[in-house]
Amino acid sequence: MGKLSKLPKLYLAFVFIILYTPIFYLLYYSFNSGGTMSGFESFTFEHYAAVFEDTRLIMILINTIVVALLSALVSTAIGVLGAVTITFIRKKALRNAILSMNNILIVSPDVIIGASFLILFTLVGVKLGFASVLISHIAFSIPIVVIMVLPKLQEMSPSLIDAAIDLGASRRDVLTRVIIPFIKPGIFAGFFLALTYSLDDFAVTFFVTGNGFSTLSVEIYSMARAGVTLTINALSGLIFIVTLLLVFGYYAINRKSKNPFSGVRK
Amino acid sequence: MSVESIIRFDNVTKKYDEDTIVLNNVSFELERGKFYTLLGPSGCGKTTILRLIAGFIEPTEGTILFNGKKINDVPANERKVNTVFQDYALFPHLNVFENIAFGLRIKKIKTDEMKKRVKEALAFVNLEGYENREISEMSGGQRQRVAIARAIVNDPEVILLDEPLSALDLKLRSEMQYELRDLQKRLGKTFIFVTHDQEEALAMSDEIFVLNNGEIQQSGTPLDIYDEPLNRFVADFIGESNIVPGIMIEDFVVEFTGKKFECVDAGLNPNENVDIVIRPEDLVLTTVEKGKLTVTVDTQLFRGVHYELSTYDKDGNEWLVHSTKKAEVGSSVGLDFVPENIHVMRLNETEEEFDARLESYGGSDNER
Amino acid sequence: MNAKPTRFLSFVPYAAWIVLFVIAPIALITYYSFFDLAGNFTLENYRNFFTSIYFKLIVNSFWYAFLITFFSLLFAYPTAYFLTKTKHKQLWLLLIIIPSWINLLLKTYAFIGLFGLYGPINAFLEMAGIGQHQLLFTDFSFVFVAVYIFIPFMILPIFNSLDKLNPALIDAAQDLGANAWTTFSRVTLPLTMNGVKSGIQVVFIPALSLFMITRLIAGNKVITLGTAIEQQFLVAQNWGMGSTIAVFLILFMFIIMLFTSGSEKGAAGSGKIK
Repeated sequence: MGKLSKLPKLYLAFVFIILYTPIFYLLYYSFNSGGTMSGFESFTFEHYAAVFEDTRLIMILINTIVVALLSALVSTAIGVLGAVTITFIRKKALRNAILSMNNILIVSPDVIIGASFLILFTLVGVKLGFASVLISHIAFSIPIVVIMVLPKLQEMSPSLIDAAIDLGASRRDVLTRVIIPFIKPGIFAGFFLALTYSLDDFAVTFFVTGNGFSTLSVEIYSMARAGVTLTINALSGLIFIVTLLLVFGYYAINRKSKNPFSGVRK
Repeated sequence: MSVESIIRFDNVTKKYDEDTIVLNNVSFELERGKFYTLLGPSGCGKTTILRLIAGFIEPTEGTILFNGKKINDVPANERKVNTVFQDYALFPHLNVFENIAFGLRIKKIKTDEMKKRVKEALAFVNLEGYENREISEMSGGQRQRVAIARAIVNDPEVILLDEPLSALDLKLRSEMQYELRDLQKRLGKTFIFVTHDQEEALAMSDEIFVLNNGEIQQSGTPLDIYDEPLNRFVADFIGESNIVPGIMIEDFVVEFTGKKFECVDAGLNPNENVDIVIRPEDLVLTTVEKGKLTVTVDTQLFRGVHYELSTYDKDGNEWLVHSTKKAEVGSSVGLDFVPENIHVMRLNETEEEFDARLESYGGSDNER
Repeated sequence: MNAKPTRFLSFVPYAAWIVLFVIAPIALITYYSFFDLAGNFTLENYRNFFTSIYFKLIVNSFWYAFLITFFSLLFAYPTAYFLTKTKHKQLWLLLIIIPSWINLLLKTYAFIGLFGLYGPINAFLEMAGIGQHQLLFTDFSFVFVAVYIFIPFMILPIFNSLDKLNPALIDAAQDLGANAWTTFSRVTLPLTMNGVKSGIQVVFIPALSLFMITRLIAGNKVITLGTAIEQQFLVAQNWGMGSTIAVFLILFMFIIMLFTSGSEKGAAGSGKIK
């Protein structure tokens, strides 16, 4: 165990090279003073400067972050309460039914989520824009939070709750003094995952956003179709750094549990 | 007796579904300040009784009284009862001090008083100075003590202990048995202890309730239960026993393995079928000529304090013998015993009938 | 037991979410699939769906989704297997996962550059004497980019199930005389099947409904169910037809979930309740 011969090592190296080539390719050309992604002329920061001069792009960036933070916060709150209630449901059939419902949005293709939410918002009369995007992001993040929190809740011995009640705790005390402190790592993991899902989302936002409101993904999509500018490369460089920070933050919080990635991804 | 009674079960039944009866029409009364043990195999309903007293579950039928008041509907967090859980259920996110102070914080006890009481509780379980330790840094035995301290700090009238020693190794376990018994005497509180370990039950209790299939089989002092098991289940569950069928010829004469023996039991019908119990340690190895029974030694194990011999009589009944003397495997030996060591069990006799019979033939209770 | 109302008060937002964003959307999609552009009740959408154009579309979608899933699995299983044998396996796994946390659009965008006529791949091909080729807007580039995007999600569940495998079982198999290959095919592979299944589940369904990559990389040459839905909803504004396709996509989704969930013993690591 623990020893790899040459061939597997080579194979893994190959996989890692393929996985990281596009990312480093983007980063490399973000420093190109020439205007295109071919023929590196000389090193420059001008594209990074351009990112910060482009107020429209900055606005979009802020939009994206605001939506991500707000949706992660709200979905974490709703998801945690939902997960706690699910674990207290004694009827197995009902619990499983709720869980299947929970998982529907996780396995649903983005296109379906986007299209059906579009119908919903139009029908209810929610104006397409910030509100509709935020609500959609909250909606698709809730089941992810539930999935991240549930294992922690199941790990918790039921006698802990009995013990708290035995010592005089009310239902509220049990939640705030025992359950929430215990599942804190799960809550953080859920929050971070919700955050990255929101930052990463393109398809759902693409469906439910109106003319006036755009997130980064949607913007990159339209820019990439219209023509390539290295400003996007510079922006990707910045996002890459931020993402790395987020990932390591998430990893550091979740380090205590054995496998930090056991949740389902889309 | 009812003056001092602290907990009373009146015809309590607990069902989970229509069909799964975990406790069947159980009635008993517990006195203040005694050490009680609920003993039985897993699934016998002993933990259910504990959870009913703690208030985690409600009885399906019947009444539970606490200090003479019905407490069926009183939620667990309002009962003056605290539990020591099997897995200790210590809060992993809180340190030792905060774990013990949990109940006091909820009652909003002042900080000074809280500190004093936690300190006292820690002293009671010999854990002075451990306030700031994390639970993960404590050994199994220490966690056990923290769990006990967390229960007693709230000054409950009754302390429930759900198999609290089952996770400890043998040596620690017998140490904790002494300590628990000692603690109970110092506190003077009612302890209700659940276990499936009969030795533990015999060693610690003022009174034992032997349970099986959701019913109380027999209750009494450890000596009572050991010496006069009421039925085959109790005899088998409490210590090792040789149980053979017999016939009660008349008062003080019983027949088994085809021979008549003098015994100390009476009040049965002539020629009634009974079960005979003789404990392995009451059988004395002797020569064939001197022995009351003749058996052949089948196997012999060295158990440290004694040899454990498995022997068979000519009818094929197995007789387990605990002997300090060795025997030769395959040889025929004699077994001797005195009349007091023959325990006669009536088939399907209830506890009340048993007690009534003892009364009727006079004062045998005092002998024991 | 007690204080039921307060307990359910905390459940209200979650329950509302289930009703509004899980049940209602599926119901609405189904409802809309019975209406035409003018808002009349019709079965026309369904009739249309079963015509040759859409049939071809479905076959196409499935074919590409199959290819994407197949190649993802082909490359993911050895990767996951070797990863479990590395020293700092959690760290290496993290490095596999990181690219998946980078915005999808950015990675796709990088491939536009990489595969472009003046990109490094073509430069390399030219150096090798093969000459320039239009790599973008081909089936190959589409499948390649899709596999690139999905492979971490295939590696993850397989890694988890391999990691949970009791090493004593491998020792036992070898002790009983199995060679490396028999050990793998008779013990390791069957015991990690759940990981493979959930990997297929998280790759196949999204692969069926890709639409952004098809636009950017395949230049509309590859049309999947996802592209068709997007087109109907956002370009043609024909919600009825779009919904009909969506209904079928949902049906396929349930069928695939049924096939791949099977006896989930938690090996796949999708946080299922006991």
